[in-house]
Amino acid sequence: MLIEVFGPGCAKCQVMEKHAKEAVAQSGVDHQVVKISDYAAMASRGILSTPALAVDGEIKVQGRVASSNEILALIKG
Amino acid sequence: MPENPTQPGFLRRGGWLLLALPLWVFLYTVNHAVSEWIAFRLLGLTPKSHLGDAVAFLFYDTPKVLLLLTLVVFIVTFIQTFVSPTRVRDSLSKRRPGLGNAFASIFGIVTPFCSCSAVPLFIGFLRAGVPLGVTFSFLVAAPMVNEVALGMLFAMFGWKIAAIYAGTGVAIAFTSGLVLGQLRMEHYLEGWVQDALNAPVLGELEDEQITLPARIDLAVQGVKEIVGKVWPYILAGIAVGAFIHGYVPATFMASLLGKSHWYSVPLAVLIGVPLYSNAAGIMPIVDALLGKGAALGSTLAFMMAVIGLSLPETIILRKVMRPRLIATFVGVVALGIVLVGYLFNAIL
Repeated sequence: MLIEVFGPGCAKCQVMEKHAKEAVAQSGVDHQVVKISDYAAMASRGILSTPALAVDGEIKVQGRVASSNEILALIKG
Repeated sequence: MPENPTQPGFLRRGGWLLLALPLWVFLYTVNHAVSEWIAFRLLGLTPKSHLGDAVAFLFYDTPKVLLLLTLVVFIVTFIQTFVSPTRVRDSLSKRRPGLGNAFASIFGIVTPFCSCSAVPLFIGFLRAGVPLGVTFSFLVAAPMVNEVALGMLFAMFGWKIAAIYAGTGVAIAFTSGLVLGQLRMEHYLEGWVQDALNAPVLGELEDEQITLPARIDLAVQGVKEIVGKVWPYILAGIAVGAFIHGYVPATFMASLLGKSHWYSVPLAVLIGVPLYSNAAGIMPIVDALLGKGAALGSTLAFMMAVIGLSLPETIILRKVMRPRLIATFVGVVALGIVLVGYLFNAIL
C-alpha cells in the first residue's frame, strides 16, 4: 500500500508523517510512506488545505492531523 | 469523518465539559486576588512600585490570557468544523467580483486557515474559477481578521473594539481584493502556477460528514494544539506587556503612538510588519499599549500589521506570485491598514 502525506513542511505536516509511520509500524505490514511537499503535485491532486493524507492514491484526510489510530484504520479499511 | 477507534461515548464527553466549565469560571474569578497575593504578599513587593506593578501584571495576565485563549479556541474550533475550505471555494466560484469580494472577506474570518496552506488554497480557488481579486480578498481577510484574535478582543476589551477590528479588517480585505482584481495581474503569477491551473485534477476529497461528538473532539484537539503551540508567544507578549506596564512612562507611549502625531500610524505599521507573533501573543501587548495612552487607531494598525502582514506568509506566497504582484499585494494591504489607523485616531 502507498501512503502519501502532503504538506510543505510545517509542524503539523511533520506530525502527520510521524503518525503515518507509527500506523504502518503497528499494522505490521511493510507499507510505503511518502512525503510530498511539492505544491504543483498537491495542486494536481485537488488538495486545498494541508496536511493531507492519501491511501493508495485516494485522498482520505485534509486540513487536519489524523491520529495514528485513525490512519491505521484507513490502512486496514 | 472516518471513524475513530478510540472514541469515548458522548455522555462521558459531556460530563468532562460540565466539569471543565465551573473550574474555568472559578479560576477566572480568583485570578486577580491570587495575582496580587503572589506579588504583594508572597514576594513582598510594594504596590504601585515599578517592579510591583510589572510582576503583578505578569501573574495576573498569564493565567487570564491562557484561560481566555482556551475558551476562545474551543468555541472557534467548534464553529470551524462547520466551515471547510472546499465549501467556501464552491460557494465563491459562482460569485462575481464585488459581491464575491464581500463574501470572501467574511468567509476569511471563520475558515480554518494556516499560512502553510496558503499556496494550495490559492491554486485551488483559482482553478475552481474564483476570480483573482476575490481570492485575494480571502487571502487578506483570513490572517488579518484572525478568529482567535477576534474572540480575545471581545473577551478582553468588549464588543465595540472587537467589532471595529472585524469591520475594518473585512473592509480592508474587500477593498484590496477589489483593487487587486481591477489591476488584472494574472500574468504575474509564477509560470508553474499557470501550468497547474490548466492541468487536470486527479480527484479530490468529498466533504467529511462529522458527528457532534467528533466536532467536540476536534475542538478539544484544537485547544491542545493551539494553546500548546502559542504559549511561548503569550509569555513573550506578557513579558513585553509587563515591562511596558511597569516601566515605560505613559507620556512616552502617548508621544510615540498617540493620536496627535501624523507619524504614529505609519510607525506602528513599520514596527508591526517584521514582528511575527501569534494573534494571541499580541493581546497582552495591545492591553499594555492601550493602558499607557497609545491611541486606538495606532494600536489597531500595529496589531493588524503584526498578524495580517507576516513575513513568513509573504515568503510562502512568493512561491506563486512574481515579485511585482507580491509587492502590490503587500503595498495595498499596508495602505489599507494605515488608512484604518488614521480613521480611528480621527474619530475616537
